[in-house]
Amino acid sequence: MQNLFNFIVKNVHWLLFLLLLFLSVFLLIDHSEFQRSKYLSVADDVTGSIYTVTNGFQSYMNLKSANEDLTKKIAELETSVFEYQQALASRNDTNQTASVAIDTLHTLIYQFIPAQVVDKNVSRLENYITLNKGANDGITPDMGVLSTNGIVGVVMKTSSHFSIVIPVLNPKFRLNCKLKTNYSGPLVWDGKDAQYTYLTEIPRHAIFQIGDTVVTSGYSTIFPKGLPVGTIVSVQKEKNDNYNSLKIKLFTNFHTLNTVTIVKNEYQREQNELQKTIQP
Amino acid sequence: MEAIRRIIWFVALVFLQVALFDKVHLFGYATPLLYIYFIIKLPVSLNRNAVVLLSALLGLCIDIFDHTLGLNMLACVVAGFMRFYLLKLFAPRDVFEDFAPSLKTFGHAAFFRYVSGMILLHQLIVFSTEAFSLFDAAGLFLRILGSFVLTLALVYALENINWGGAKNERR
Repeated sequence: MQNLFNFIVKNVHWLLFLLLLFLSVFLLIDHSEFQRSKYLSVADDVTGSIYTVTNGFQSYMNLKSANEDLTKKIAELETSVFEYQQALASRNDTNQTASVAIDTLHTLIYQFIPAQVVDKNVSRLENYITLNKGANDGITPDMGVLSTNGIVGVVMKTSSHFSIVIPVLNPKFRLNCKLKTNYSGPLVWDGKDAQYTYLTEIPRHAIFQIGDTVVTSGYSTIFPKGLPVGTIVSVQKEKNDNYNSLKIKLFTNFHTLNTVTIVKNEYQREQNELQKTIQP
Repeated sequence: MEAIRRIIWFVALVFLQVALFDKVHLFGYATPLLYIYFIIKLPVSLNRNAVVLLSALLGLCIDIFDHTLGLNMLACVVAGFMRFYLLKLFAPRDVFEDFAPSLKTFGHAAFFRYVSGMILLHQLIVFSTEAFSLFDAAGLFLRILGSFVLTLALVYALENINWGGAKNERR
């Protein structure tokens, strides 16, 4: 007994080391689940406000407020353009089937909320972006994020004043996109260049041309259909011979990204819950 | 007094890392991970448990800011633990009093070996763990090499600021 006790006292640093090692490996492996949980949202509020301060140093005060006004305006215009497009579509559609985008009370399915980037990485393997809007502004996980040029990513988690976005530039990001000719496949980033990503699982017989625009497919509840993503730059064969993957030049410039709009889908929960009921 | 100085170093290094160095990507590969300097500079005689605990705390702080929970913590815990063995290998044996590793106390060769060992170990773990999902050996190698050189240069820069008065003595 005495010996055992002595042994433990003598090697307590080993125990401590192994304990901390396991703890960090556990955090690393359980990362995504843990990140989504509420434990760290207090920490996110603190880091977010520090990033807000450092970001303040990085951008000129006047330009910032002017930019905010402009993005707000853009978000409003985007909302109304969407409204008109849907109204037009429902008018053109004789069977009135396209009117799903506006419900009976005439509230919009998609709303656009302007936000500022307070922190971002673009050159790592797993990049994240922090925005200055959070749960208090009605942001919830799984909302889409757009720049003025194209898509940016999806909200992963929120604290009361900030939200963290998992951008296109993250291998964990998966989004279904499609070509003009309606062939669709998941968008996958290879971890190298912030300007390019890949549209995979495109059948070899799909018809397209270099320079064609790739848009969101609208199959998920995150983004509306037809938002611009990027243009086709080149074609690569996948290991499986039946599919090609297309190199896409993104419309969004992540290096200069500063203001974004968040897409809110009023019916996201309803649709997800309905879809869940048919899955085992 | 010494404790307060260390706390200031801790906060300053974490702040510099998340606000400045994390945004540096020289040639698209080299990112300095200077916060390891805190572990490097802990006094030689400090209890091993304390070193490992402080290292874990440092890594965790960086992780919370970077949204990379566990990554830097893992690297720091290993680096903090292995520090004892690196010191045993490289620290001069003729000095007995409580001193912090520096160019002055260690001398050039020993300090270089000790610092390189720490940085390399730390970065090897950070970058290879990060690359786990997407393996690209050449890219990984360049990342580690570039970041290693950059971090080493910064450690030496800090070391010379710390120790400005003694420059003349050296040459």
